[in-house]
Amino acid sequence: MSNPESGAPERIVIVGFGPVAARLVEHLEPLVAAGKVAVTVIGQEKEAAYNRVLVADVAVGRSREAAIGLADPAALMALGVDVRLDTRVAQVDRPARQVLLDDGEVITYHRLVFATGSRPILPCLEGMDDGGSQALPAGVGFLRDLDDARAVATALASRERIVVLGGGILGIEAAIAAAEEGGRVTLVHHGRSPMERLLGEGALVLAAALRNAGIAVVAGTSTGVHLADGRFAGLDLADGTRIDGGRLVLACGVRPRTELAEECGLDVADGVLVDHTLRAVNAEGIWAIGDCAEVRCRDSSCPACTEDTAPQGLIGPGWQQADYLGMAWAAEFAGVPASVVGLPERRDAVLVLKARGVDAVTAGETDADPWAVQPGLAVAVWADPGHGRYVKIVTRDGVLTGLVCVGMPRTGAELVLLFERGSELPADRSSLLRLDSAEGVVAAIPSGPDATLCRCAGVTRGAVADSVVNGCTSVPDVSASTRAGTGCGGCHEDIKAVIEQHFAVAV
Amino acid sequence: MEQTGPGQQTHCPYCALQCAMTVSASTAGGGATVAGRDFPTNRGGLCRKGWSAADLLRHPDRLTAPLLRGSDGVLREAPWDDVLQLISNRVRTIQAAHGRDAVAVFGGGGLTNEKAYTLGKFARLALRTSRIDYNGRFCMSSAAAAGNRAFGVDRGLPFPLEDLDAASVILLLGSNAADTMPPFVQHLRGARGAGGLVVVDPRRSATARLADQGKGIHLQPTPGTDLALLLGLAHVVVAEGLEDRAFLEERTIGYDDVARGLARWWPERVQSLTGVPAASIRATARLLARGARSGADGGPGAYILTGRGIEQHADGTDTTTAAINLALLLGLPGTSHSGYGTLTGQGNGQGGREHGQKADQLPGYRKITDPAGRAHIANVWGVPEDAIPGPGLPAVELLAALGRPDGVRCLFVHGANIAVSAPNATTVIDGLRSLDLLVVSDFFLSETAALADVVLPVLQWAEEEGTITNLEGRVLRRRAAVAPPESARSELWIMQELARLLEAPSLFSEDPETMFNELARASAGGLADYSGLDYDLLDGGTAAYWPYPMGGTGTPRLFLDAFAHPGGRAALVRVAPQAATIGSNVPAPLLLATGRLLEHYQSGTQTRRVSELLSAQPEPRLQLHPVTADGLGIAQDDRVVVTSENGEAHALADLTADIRQDTVFLAFHYAEAGSANRLTGSATDPISGMPEFKTTPVRVAALSAHPSRSLADKLEVNA
Repeated sequence: MSNPESGAPERIVIVGFGPVAARLVEHLEPLVAAGKVAVTVIGQEKEAAYNRVLVADVAVGRSREAAIGLADPAALMALGVDVRLDTRVAQVDRPARQVLLDDGEVITYHRLVFATGSRPILPCLEGMDDGGSQALPAGVGFLRDLDDARAVATALASRERIVVLGGGILGIEAAIAAAEEGGRVTLVHHGRSPMERLLGEGALVLAAALRNAGIAVVAGTSTGVHLADGRFAGLDLADGTRIDGGRLVLACGVRPRTELAEECGLDVADGVLVDHTLRAVNAEGIWAIGDCAEVRCRDSSCPACTEDTAPQGLIGPGWQQADYLGMAWAAEFAGVPASVVGLPERRDAVLVLKARGVDAVTAGETDADPWAVQPGLAVAVWADPGHGRYVKIVTRDGVLTGLVCVGMPRTGAELVLLFERGSELPADRSSLLRLDSAEGVVAAIPSGPDATLCRCAGVTRGAVADSVVNGCTSVPDVSASTRAGTGCGGCHEDIKAVIEQHFAVAV
Repeated sequence: MEQTGPGQQTHCPYCALQCAMTVSASTAGGGATVAGRDFPTNRGGLCRKGWSAADLLRHPDRLTAPLLRGSDGVLREAPWDDVLQLISNRVRTIQAAHGRDAVAVFGGGGLTNEKAYTLGKFARLALRTSRIDYNGRFCMSSAAAAGNRAFGVDRGLPFPLEDLDAASVILLLGSNAADTMPPFVQHLRGARGAGGLVVVDPRRSATARLADQGKGIHLQPTPGTDLALLLGLAHVVVAEGLEDRAFLEERTIGYDDVARGLARWWPERVQSLTGVPAASIRATARLLARGARSGADGGPGAYILTGRGIEQHADGTDTTTAAINLALLLGLPGTSHSGYGTLTGQGNGQGGREHGQKADQLPGYRKITDPAGRAHIANVWGVPEDAIPGPGLPAVELLAALGRPDGVRCLFVHGANIAVSAPNATTVIDGLRSLDLLVVSDFFLSETAALADVVLPVLQWAEEEGTITNLEGRVLRRRAAVAPPESARSELWIMQELARLLEAPSLFSEDPETMFNELARASAGGLADYSGLDYDLLDGGTAAYWPYPMGGTGTPRLFLDAFAHPGGRAALVRVAPQAATIGSNVPAPLLLATGRLLEHYQSGTQTRRVSELLSAQPEPRLQLHPVTADGLGIAQDDRVVVTSENGEAHALADLTADIRQDTVFLAFHYAEAGSANRLTGSATDPISGMPEFKTTPVRVAALSAHPSRSLADKLEVNA
């Protein structure tokens, strides 16, 4: 795209200042410094971008607010980036290439980037419908931003029971974090156990781990909130039970924030539709990245866009998009052909439970049946619920396409690495399980006369024994005679043992 | 062998630990015997390389006369006068036709300080070329660049090695010290006793095993992800408020920027990139913080030590910086009970990187582009400042220029065997063959010497006087214990004679003490200041840790009062893996890491000639996991071929569950078909010029096929 006023920097306006927008701004900093672009980034929250993934940690007090910040507004402003916090975009005027802010200001753009992210889903609960107002009752909130985190922190400090509604990964993480920091927690979920859709039988093992962590895990359908003096006091379930508590955390999933894009006439499905270069389809000069974007171009045969490409609510893919767009623009403004090959091939989401005492990871297809006869498909399952362990490994033509791993941290870490790389698994799947076994940790004890007793000097047990037979009675004697024990000294105990053994036999 | 006299007190010829030893000349045969000697670093210990070091003094392969390649292509003995005159004439001819920079010098980290210093001077004043670099570029360059960036100075260990004895926590990243410098392990005893030894290595190496049985933690990341792992550790420190706020505020800059960069590296994300469980990352960070707090209170402290495993990468400088950032967050450097250091590899890897062998450097660790530094050195050398050329090319670029148009036509090699040790060795060998003149100084016909037009026989460690600076930055005396073979000459003498023939200005003396005294003056006021040192002082046993300025004393512990940047603060520098390297979805083949064995040293020129060492490790063995081997139909001791985009190498299969399934390991001590560096590539670190040695994608196959033997095949049959 050419710059209408040649010589003047192109103006890039980014709507949203979350983690993905912050990453894009980082890439644009050198272009701003070089005077090639002018950047305005508009955030709705009072804070600049911070790592939303860690909000639960802040809520329970084991991470500091300051430690999750991703951008420094003052430093950005000093560099020449126009940072607007606590500001909403009221409207986008595409024909005029302008955004209208809620304070009435109008900003012209050459390029507009939607990075509006997603918002939590508000479940239908009786007692929360407050005549159409968006406000939640006191004591009810999400765990999405720092204000939410502060509210949960207050509830924890006052020893109130925290009720978490939602058995997805965010709800579980919130529940575990609160419980591990001493909170009283009830987790309410649908189905047999939390995360059942993703973990299958592994979800039962996870549920046991959650109970062991002190969390009351309750299956049920919630129907309404019980308020006392306008404050949350309990969650009502369809079976008539009520779970009393002082704080309700809603963790029922997220949805792309696309209102602004829809209002200005962009094509929107789940998210703002963009092609695989992240340009909004049927639009000029507009891009979208992160949770608000859905990558699906008009070419139905495009390999990058054939899979299910709805936003996943995860930060990693958004950062990859910001990296891609940032590097592509850097190359464009430097006048070099884009060295960026394209967006990384989209892979199924990897979910790693962020918790201290509970290990669970899952990725890809996890519902495959071990007994199904299907060419190329192989499914291995290891279940040991009595010890809190469960592993499921799905491969197609040997390549890892799905995994569930509960209670086995090394195995889980390794499987995720193999999944991210699209690696072929070894025929002996059980070798991966042994990463979490104790067997590898036992040091080999040298035995037999040919075994090396002293590695540093390369002396065998037999040579040491011979020196003892020939009159050596102490470690220094043996060292002087054989050089054994003259390096790191780690084998002195072994030499002593050989000497003692010799004289024990002699007596 | 009979011993004569009490023997000479000197130090080992091999690694940077520079174990103290006594060398006694034998009455017969001109050889010698070796014994360990008590000293703070090795406490009398030696490894089997040290014990057998004297075997090489009268080795039958020893070069005893200059060799000159005849028109028939055969190397034959020739008189010194003839070969030196020939070299001088050819240098003049080549430079007249192709310019001064057509002549280049490649030095080594095993050369004494005197030789390293004189070699830099010889290149600039006698050969008048900018093109000098050395094999330390393959060794310490990333740690040096990171140390300079963070602290303003690069001394491997800025504290005496004995300080480690009192530590409760030691994080050892990418070092297999139990194999590469065995007596060093004594200094880990305290941390092991406290359960605080943390070893980071894709292999469960001999060093990693030291953390077994409750003595510590072994973290086993996939190769090439050390930077992400370090960011994860630092993330936990910041997120959990474990950093030393007072230290950061009083003694550092850059905290805010680094902390913001860390917010992206929470443990579960790092786990997905490294294969190290989030719980282990947290446990390690907390262990380090406990040690740091204890150290700050005057108790047993915490140390972070790096080795080539995390430094020899195309992002080695940033990875080392991440380790230093972690140390600075915890408040370790510049205190008396904690610290950060890098374990230097080669015998004089420290001194060798201070006195002008580097392309961009002048003696005293001065920048060659610094006008004040140039003026000082010009004054010491008695030449006009413009007689000193500007910066040259770092090693990999220098070697890539061999035989190229406007490249290098003539190369002098000292203390290096680049045909084996340089990355992408096949290309390097082609480059060496394409030269108009290759002059190699060595005491054996190394693989590089075998390609030379002229080979100059030089002295071994026990035949020469000089100084070495060990991994602590302590200057040690090397002493002659035996007489050299009659026709071998010191490199100082060779440079003296060639300088005369080339009509070089300034002083070139064959006398080490004379050159040391000039080195001391040249280093005065530089970062690595030796100006207060002389042979008498060193012979008296002074613990000479540099800087040791004129009229001052040594500096066992750097940074206690201030770091070396203007303003006295250490710099935290924000680093992160390149975006393109994160989460790339390319199915990874096996990743090759190269490294060392206990029994061998560097290119093996020396240790492959010691029968005791050769018989213990006679040929290259490729370590791979039994499960990986099974999938490839490879059994123990099978002959295998390893292939990368750069070439192939042959080895015997060595199956061990101590290595990750995605990793294979090959030692780089062997030549010809077994040369690991036939596989490594030419990618380098943009800051340090360090090659990528530890993450080469490879395929492995058995040379002879074993049909239907593997578990994979059996399972296939049953399916």
